[in-house]
Amino acid sequence: MRTHGSYDDEASDEALLSGVAVGDDRAVLAFVRRYQRRLFGMALGIVGDPGMAEDVAQEAFIRILRHAAVYDARRGSVATWTLTITRNLAIDAVRVRRPIPTAPEDRTFLSLVSNDRSPDDAASMSESVTQARFALAALPNDQRRAIVLAVMYGRTASEVASLEAIPLGTAKSRIRLGLAKLREAAAITEAP
Amino acid sequence: MSRQPEESMKCEAISDDLIEFALGTLSGRSRSRVLDHLESCAHCDAELESLAGVVDTMLWLAPEAEPSLGFETRLIERHRASDTRRLTVRRRRASVLAVAAVLVAVLGIGVDVVLTTHGGATIPSTSVRPTSSRLTANGIVVGHVTISSGSPSWMIMDVDTGKLSGLVWCEVTLANGRVETVGKFTLSHGYGSWIAPIKSPGSLVRSARLVNTHGTVLAQATFAT
Repeated sequence: MRTHGSYDDEASDEALLSGVAVGDDRAVLAFVRRYQRRLFGMALGIVGDPGMAEDVAQEAFIRILRHAAVYDARRGSVATWTLTITRNLAIDAVRVRRPIPTAPEDRTFLSLVSNDRSPDDAASMSESVTQARFALAALPNDQRRAIVLAVMYGRTASEVASLEAIPLGTAKSRIRLGLAKLREAAAITEAP
Repeated sequence: MSRQPEESMKCEAISDDLIEFALGTLSGRSRSRVLDHLESCAHCDAELESLAGVVDTMLWLAPEAEPSLGFETRLIERHRASDTRRLTVRRRRASVLAVAAVLVAVLGIGVDVVLTTHGGATIPSTSVRPTSSRLTANGIVVGHVTISSGSPSWMIMDVDTGKLSGLVWCEVTLANGRVETVGKFTLSHGYGSWIAPIKSPGSLVRSARLVNTHGTVLAQATFAT
């Protein structure tokens, strides 16, 4: 997939990561350019502050580039791996610097649960992700909030219960039911 | 495949924890309990894979955003600096391991095999084969530990945690469960290499770990019995 010594836009994530692992600067640059908007967006959505989000995204990239050689495709796609690392770092940063849990009224929360989406964003989303977005929007509001708090903000069921001022059992139930519906929607999408 | 009623009850008992495991929010004993159960339950293993797939897809819903001008340049420079530092550390590790080789030889212990390390140096092993293990943190390899079985026994550790700096304590757990402190060492920009004697015979060491001054375990390694 290399063109005149560089990586073209169609090089697979795995190919880029292999290049990173052997210290190929062109692969590093291509990988960073491919993922910087997504990783920064993920970090910004969780921490809320652009400066802090850049710190998180930079740290995520450094870890990803450093550990490219130990990436294991059996444990998920490159994209999922990078997003998970970024999400976890962002959650850690929030927990250290901002003891008050992120309120579900935050901008990104609203963005996630809203159906408003720019055409560019919509065009860049794969069918399964678009379907997941619709499925999330279709959930009852209380389940949607519980899912977003747990998945995006890394809140435990106990923390969701506290944030939403509901019993722990209710929080668990909302997460369980919400995930079940999302899974059902994904299964329908995947069906031939 | 149908499950026995007893198995179904076990699955039911961990169902809530399995969801939190998939979400990445489960820790401590509950996490260990789920891991134990997953080792012998294909049903829950498949359930976890399915739930994790939904969670992974959700991560894609985060909106993209443009970082500030210069983000890419700063990142590339930082990455290159980090690579240079790692190269320096590798050389330092090679020196440390070479010293280790001399130590083992000076101690008059028979040499019969050679263990090659990633640092490029070689450590003559003792007549009792040394044991090595990977040092991991959150499932990621962050270093290596080698323990000789002679008398006295020695620990050789090299660490690359990425960012942590400052004092860390190194501890080993023995076969009888007793925890022995090997010493305190300094991590600089995430890196450190050291050699230290162990009071007890190396053959009794079952695990090693790095702990910060607050008692938090930063990384650990286990040795096969």
